[in-house]
Amino acid sequence: MGWPMPWAWTLPGAFTERFMSLLNINNLTVGYVNPSGELVPAVQDVSFGLNKGETLGIVGESGCGKSTLARAILGYCRPGSFIMGGEVLFDGEDILQMSSSQLRDLRGQRIAMVPQNPLSSLTYHMKVGPQVDEILKIHRGMDSNAARLHTLELFAGTNLPDPEQIYDRYPHEISGGQRQRVVIAGALACQPAIMVLDEPTTALDTTTEIQVLKLVKELRQENEMALIYITHDLTLTDYICKNVLVMLDGEVVEQGQVAKIFKHPRTDYTKMLIAAIPRVDAKSGAGASLPAAGAPQPLLEVDGLKFRYGQRRSLATIFKSREEPLAVDDVSFDLEHGETVGLVGESGSGKSTIANIICGLLTATTGNVVFDGQPINTPAEKRSLEFRKRIQIIFQDPLSSLNPRHRIETILTRPLKIFFGLKGKAASDRAIELLEAMELLPEHLSRFPRQLSGGQQQRVAIACAFAAKPDLILCDEVTSALDVSVQAHVLELLKAIQEKTGVACVFISHDLGVVKQVANKVIVLQKGIVAEAGPTEDVFAKPTHNYTRLLLAAASRENTEHT
Amino acid sequence: MSEKSIISVLTSSPATTIGVLLVTIHLLSALLAPLYVPYGVTELAGPSMLAPGSPGHLLGTDVIGRDYLTRLVIGGRTSIFVAMLGALSAVVIGGLIGVSAAYIGGFYDDAIMRIVDTKLSIPGVLFVALCVVGFGRSIPVLTIVIAINYMPGALRIIRSQALTQVPLDYVKCARLRGESKLAVIIRELCPNVMEVVVVEFALRMSSAILAVSALSFLGLGISPPTPDWGLMVYEGIRQIYIAPWLVLLPAFLISTLVIGLNFATDGLANALGLDAARGLY
Repeated sequence: MGWPMPWAWTLPGAFTERFMSLLNINNLTVGYVNPSGELVPAVQDVSFGLNKGETLGIVGESGCGKSTLARAILGYCRPGSFIMGGEVLFDGEDILQMSSSQLRDLRGQRIAMVPQNPLSSLTYHMKVGPQVDEILKIHRGMDSNAARLHTLELFAGTNLPDPEQIYDRYPHEISGGQRQRVVIAGALACQPAIMVLDEPTTALDTTTEIQVLKLVKELRQENEMALIYITHDLTLTDYICKNVLVMLDGEVVEQGQVAKIFKHPRTDYTKMLIAAIPRVDAKSGAGASLPAAGAPQPLLEVDGLKFRYGQRRSLATIFKSREEPLAVDDVSFDLEHGETVGLVGESGSGKSTIANIICGLLTATTGNVVFDGQPINTPAEKRSLEFRKRIQIIFQDPLSSLNPRHRIETILTRPLKIFFGLKGKAASDRAIELLEAMELLPEHLSRFPRQLSGGQQQRVAIACAFAAKPDLILCDEVTSALDVSVQAHVLELLKAIQEKTGVACVFISHDLGVVKQVANKVIVLQKGIVAEAGPTEDVFAKPTHNYTRLLLAAASRENTEHT
Repeated sequence: MSEKSIISVLTSSPATTIGVLLVTIHLLSALLAPLYVPYGVTELAGPSMLAPGSPGHLLGTDVIGRDYLTRLVIGGRTSIFVAMLGALSAVVIGGLIGVSAAYIGGFYDDAIMRIVDTKLSIPGVLFVALCVVGFGRSIPVLTIVIAINYMPGALRIIRSQALTQVPLDYVKCARLRGESKLAVIIRELCPNVMEVVVVEFALRMSSAILAVSALSFLGLGISPPTPDWGLMVYEGIRQIYIAPWLVLLPAFLISTLVIGLNFATDGLANALGLDAARGLY
């Protein structure tokens, strides 16, 4: 199995070596002041060089200091952080010693940055076109007309459909992918020598992400820029970068060519990062554990489910009676005991809405949900204790699903009291059991959610859902707020507890790799309509719907390039 | 918030420390007053009227010969008591209604918010003055009127804080467990708006102290012979050329208490990260 070169566009080594490094970072250390007033390094003793036209990926989990490093490259520190030592040489000049007017000239003009969330990097009150014009006027001294024409060119260059029209839109009137393109157009406005992209696609859907990535790749080639790409997703660097820097706790643990690191990771941390990537081409993990045939009736039947938002009554609705489009349109599926169904789709495809209807947060507009032979079309408040106990949900963001003002003990013992009447010592003992099943420690009982890590929080949330001994568990994007390695661990624990308790599971995710790992069958949703449904193996091997192929292509691009 | 110690919050800036000290001194001196004041508030104890300070009467006597220090200390108790109880009822009752409006929503929320809007459109001083004229000058009436006057503003701010919490998943989890509305409001939501409630309380209390003093000065607040700072300024104003301290001392005490409360609130709000929620109404 060979390693084809996806970087045919990379300049030959001999060519780049004739130039001195464009950017040289030597022993850079950046520190934060923590609440008790001590200076704690977030980036420690980092050194690397970047040649003209080269691409460098910086990879690491959240909190490893990669964004801090990116800002330091532009000579900027967040409030409360300080550059403690080292130098950032750009074209031989130390950025950290520059005056603020020199920095102003440098930023945007020679080094440009594309931040993570395009909605917060564009001003709400201005149309997007003039926002790019402004950069051209300030940095390149263009007049209004020239700036407008150039902006339109840039928009066309970033594949924005109908630049003239987009020019006059406000940021909230265009889609997330379009916004990110506008920001990239702004970054390109002055033809910078280096572009720093800080997780530019994290806020985007998979299919949009692939388009933006492609664009960045093409633009880099056209403009011969050097690129620094920051991400928590190792596979993205594989797609876009030649070299990579792996960071852990502010220090560089590994650096070198992406291809080599992928093939022969040297440190345990990098190995773990690579192993933790969920792959759509991996073998489905859940396929074998199908339940025994001949069950009298499925645990859950969803039949012709339709849902429309905007049913909330208030004074405002008297004056306007606009009908929202259907968020879920005619969705039907069955689920047996112990089975896992994966609901897949982009944001806005209605997958969370379905989960909310099943658990009783919303009521279906029309259609039927039958659980264990009994219809449950009422909101949770009107269901019997029995049904509330038997259906549990786990949400995406554990910090939001755990009350920040309650200790873990309070959080875990509450359902025990409501569903089983357990109190005092008995409840605490059971809570400890639950924690231990999720590989947490008894001493975590006395903590508050914020004192735990993201992965620990999510495990507490899972423990809390399993406290009720449910028959059906709804997992709503349970891993998408977590780092890759943590995600793998949480998925493993979830699978283990599912096998032990035989609970059925509706698993919602936009990540096809994850779904492939856990689900027996898959339902692909597009704008509330079922695009495709079937056993996991079949859907992944022979997708029949165009949308499924698109999703699969978007998800497998990195994996296929090296396997 | 739980990670920060109370001490570090209270000493987060010099202004906060000064504020906390001022408030503490005021509260202690008012609370412990009965233990150390030498005379009764209405006792004609002095050697003469408008006597200057002497070892027996440290701050002299007032216009009819009562010990001035005694009246000054006891006068603070009335203002602080009325303002504190009024502000406390305003934020507790307003807070509960606000959180319930945010959680229940719909017509209930709409109705409450329109009532709040109506109340906010009536000038505060006018409202209080009318109520006092209508129901008579007494400490209970004053306390209730102050509470009603400050409730809508507090309600609004606490409701807006609760609105940020209502869509969070822990509230959904509680609903799915089948918790009653009251349980969700008290158990889940209230602990998460506490920070705003505390800051609101301190803010409302400082304006309530000013309001009580202003009303007493206008003759609409606490009635003589009960001592009260605003009332004492009013009584002293005719002697301002002979005995200016009769006006200046109670005015100074009102200012220090209000400044202290404002400094302390500022520091508290900063430490709790609530800058945005302050001072809107």
